[in-house]
Amino acid sequence: MSTRDGLRRPIELSLRQRLIAVNWGLVVVVFATVGIGFAMLYSISRGSTDTLVTKQMLRFAIGVGVLFAAALTDIRFYYRYAYPMYAVALALLVVVEVAGRVGMGAQRWVSVGALNLQPSELMKIALILALAKYFHGRSEDEVGQLRWLLTPLVLVAAPVALVLRQPDLGTAMLLVLGSAVVFFMAGVRVWKFLVAGAAGLGALPFAWQFLHEYQKNRVFTFFDPERDPLGAGYHIIQSKIALGSGGMFGKGFMQGTQSHLNFLPEKQTDFIFTVYAEEFGLIGGLFLLFLYFVIVGNGTVMALRINAQFGRLVAIGVTSTFFIYLFINTAMVMGLIPIVGVPLPLVSYGGTAMVSILAGFGILISAHTHRDVRIARRPDSPDV
Amino acid sequence: MRRLFARLVVRSAPATRVAGWRRPPIETGRSRLIAIGAGFALLFTIMAGRLIELTLLREGEEPRLTASDARTPAERADIVDRNGILLATSLKTASLYANPKRVLDADAAARDLAKALPNLDRRDLAEKLASDKTFVWIKRGLTPGEQNAVHRLGLPGLAFQEEYRRVYPHGRLAAHVLGFSSVDNEGLAGVEKGLEGLLKTPVRDLAGPLALSIDLRVQHVLTEELGEAVGQFHAIGAAALVTDVSTGEIIALVSLPDFDPNHPSAMPKDALFNRATLGIYEMGSTFKAFTVAMALDSGAASLASRYDATEPMKISRFVINDYHAKRRVLTVPEVFLYSSNIGAAKMALDVGTKRQQSYLRAFGLLDPATLELPEVGKPMSPSPSQWREINTVTVAYGHGVAVSPVQLAEGVGAIVNAGVRMSSTLVKRPADAPLAGRRVISSEASRDMRQLMHQVVSKGTGTKASAPGYSVGGKTGTAEKTGVGGYRTRALLSSFVGVFPITAPKYLVVVILDEPKGNARTQGYATGGWTAAPVVGRVVARIGPLLGVAPNAPDDVLPERTVLAASAPAGGSRVSR
Repeated sequence: MSTRDGLRRPIELSLRQRLIAVNWGLVVVVFATVGIGFAMLYSISRGSTDTLVTKQMLRFAIGVGVLFAAALTDIRFYYRYAYPMYAVALALLVVVEVAGRVGMGAQRWVSVGALNLQPSELMKIALILALAKYFHGRSEDEVGQLRWLLTPLVLVAAPVALVLRQPDLGTAMLLVLGSAVVFFMAGVRVWKFLVAGAAGLGALPFAWQFLHEYQKNRVFTFFDPERDPLGAGYHIIQSKIALGSGGMFGKGFMQGTQSHLNFLPEKQTDFIFTVYAEEFGLIGGLFLLFLYFVIVGNGTVMALRINAQFGRLVAIGVTSTFFIYLFINTAMVMGLIPIVGVPLPLVSYGGTAMVSILAGFGILISAHTHRDVRIARRPDSPDV
Repeated sequence: MRRLFARLVVRSAPATRVAGWRRPPIETGRSRLIAIGAGFALLFTIMAGRLIELTLLREGEEPRLTASDARTPAERADIVDRNGILLATSLKTASLYANPKRVLDADAAARDLAKALPNLDRRDLAEKLASDKTFVWIKRGLTPGEQNAVHRLGLPGLAFQEEYRRVYPHGRLAAHVLGFSSVDNEGLAGVEKGLEGLLKTPVRDLAGPLALSIDLRVQHVLTEELGEAVGQFHAIGAAALVTDVSTGEIIALVSLPDFDPNHPSAMPKDALFNRATLGIYEMGSTFKAFTVAMALDSGAASLASRYDATEPMKISRFVINDYHAKRRVLTVPEVFLYSSNIGAAKMALDVGTKRQQSYLRAFGLLDPATLELPEVGKPMSPSPSQWREINTVTVAYGHGVAVSPVQLAEGVGAIVNAGVRMSSTLVKRPADAPLAGRRVISSEASRDMRQLMHQVVSKGTGTKASAPGYSVGGKTGTAEKTGVGGYRTRALLSSFVGVFPITAPKYLVVVILDEPKGNARTQGYATGGWTAAPVVGRVVARIGPLLGVAPNAPDDVLPERTVLAASAPAGGSRVSR
């Protein structure tokens, strides 16, 4: 697997070699985390395996298939089809905009036969691939120049604008923050981030007008949950009550009262961490955070070991998106940031997110497996 | 993961540079990747910290559902008398509070509330409901009707807090014993405060109500008779006790004026003052019982000893007179019967200053009583180093030393209880509890004292304390109250301490009237024998049957051991003083 011989030919790996190269430790931890999710859904359905758990298991089975398919695929496949995949995802987002199904007050779904797809989930991966491919082809000098940054900015702005119109603030934030990490990794100067951040802050009052009433309320509520305890502040107050009532060791599996008595809204999706922490307490919560830490740490170290720019950008993009996911969710249920509708990755009930995250890990593993495979930096150059 | 990091170190930057490719972006990326990893680690730390804060430390402003449990004051145990009659109990009531932040329209809510609870001021309410707080009391202790009326308003932001309100079904009866507690269920006076720990014990439910030594029937009799005397003699106050001398239990305790513990704040401070335990007084002649008892016990005198009371006694610059002056040589029984100051003073000098002090201390007169009340008065007496002959003389007849009525009862109780002093208590003693008393005088001296006390009632100063059917013993006391610049002859503290049945002492009754005024029926006298003694007599006549004390048969009297008059040949050194 080594390329220390300095040869410029790409190395072809057999299927067996790829299987051996899979970071099995990561896979085991990911599955364990999903297992916690099953247990919590089982608890929420009060010991019934009828609906939530079986559906989630089915999605997980599909996700595992996608994970391994993605992991065993050559990294150059993703490189080659990065732009087309982005184009498809963008097109689907437009379709949602035009003819999407409305769910929970927001248009996020598109029906393909019996399958309900959330194109925004697809876009999370497609955007990372597209950005990675773009920056892979740029030299350091070019990355330093503003005009070379226009294209990737457009690549980010287009889906973000569409997602915001749905409206889906959470996914938009994920796309922007995930992309920012890829930009940062690609070598964009730090001062540019500072300028962008300042510009973003300056645009806040302007953007404020475009926020929906409920979104504005969530921000108000974040600063003063008591202002509307039965309305906008209800989620976060109840969440904190449930967390606090868990204490050190929790109330025990299936013993959570706040969540089981329906004080807690959206418990199977956005607030599943609260249910978990109420039943398993601080110890359980820290254990889950530790699992996530192992996953994110693995992803970061894997990215470090990848030699090709494309693979490394994809790896860190996937890892960062995953981290931002879990950070926004846990910080939200613990009242650190305003309520944003972001599920807890791998644990929350929800199919598309589960599949897209597992697909992301598949691509991460593939990038790691093919860490020494060279990819031509430019169409006109045989170089990596 | 450690293995991975180890490999990273090996694959350090120079090795890849040797390859000669143009890959600075990757190298920048390496340090940036490490920065990103550090960022992840930092944010993980923040998440873990917040989780610890929420689960263990909790937030101050966070309204916890469990908080309502914590705010419910612990229920106080019921208090019953020695026969199980309820004296104090806790009723569950609802108290109305508001969270003004959740009140939608303060003015409208105030208008509706004022209609439902007419005794609340509307403007006051509006102000409360519009305040910036998250918690304000609207009204404590609502009646079920009021609660229903408020409930029907359906106003958001208003809620009820279940509370326990202390109720004293017998009102003023035994008010000073029970004391009272605050709306927040804190004991503020009486056994409610003194036995707070016992009343609030979590295992109290198992132990049942707290039984006091008080007998409510006796309490009622004592209160009624004392109140009548106060009215009759226009006394400014009074105190009375009934104790069981064999156990130290206080059967009844009254202090007048009294108060209604259901509404303690409406009472003047004077009414809250417990004269029976907190008030200390110069008791006067009742103290002669101690003087004679210690003289008999120590051998300084016998019943046959005589004391010359023909002339007023001069000691340093003071002259001591007798109130019921006989102007002759008196035997010890006569000194006691006619309450001779001169005789008592000479007797005390025979006992001696040091021995007098140790006897008084043994009777419990120099130290505060040990009682389950916070209202216990500290007695006043000359300090041992300042205790001179003149003090010994005045203390002999109850001046220059001030004690509380409960101390007096305990001391006299020791004299009649075969010389054994029992500590006073307000808690019912279990029937099988061992009784631990301290011997103060011999049982022989006690027997002599009982005989003397009986004679006080049968033919001395306390004849008005006699009760039909019961043989009563006792001692009168009349002390001049101190005022500015000396004693006030018209302001008296008249007392009587009685014991019955004197043949086998069981119960002791102390009655003290503060500044009684004589009237036609007492021929103008306001002394203990005229004012306090009749109260004791009436009380004994009423409570004797209640307490199951068998009346004395007409021939059931103490055997006479002594001659009353000084018919025996005069002589003996003791008279010479």
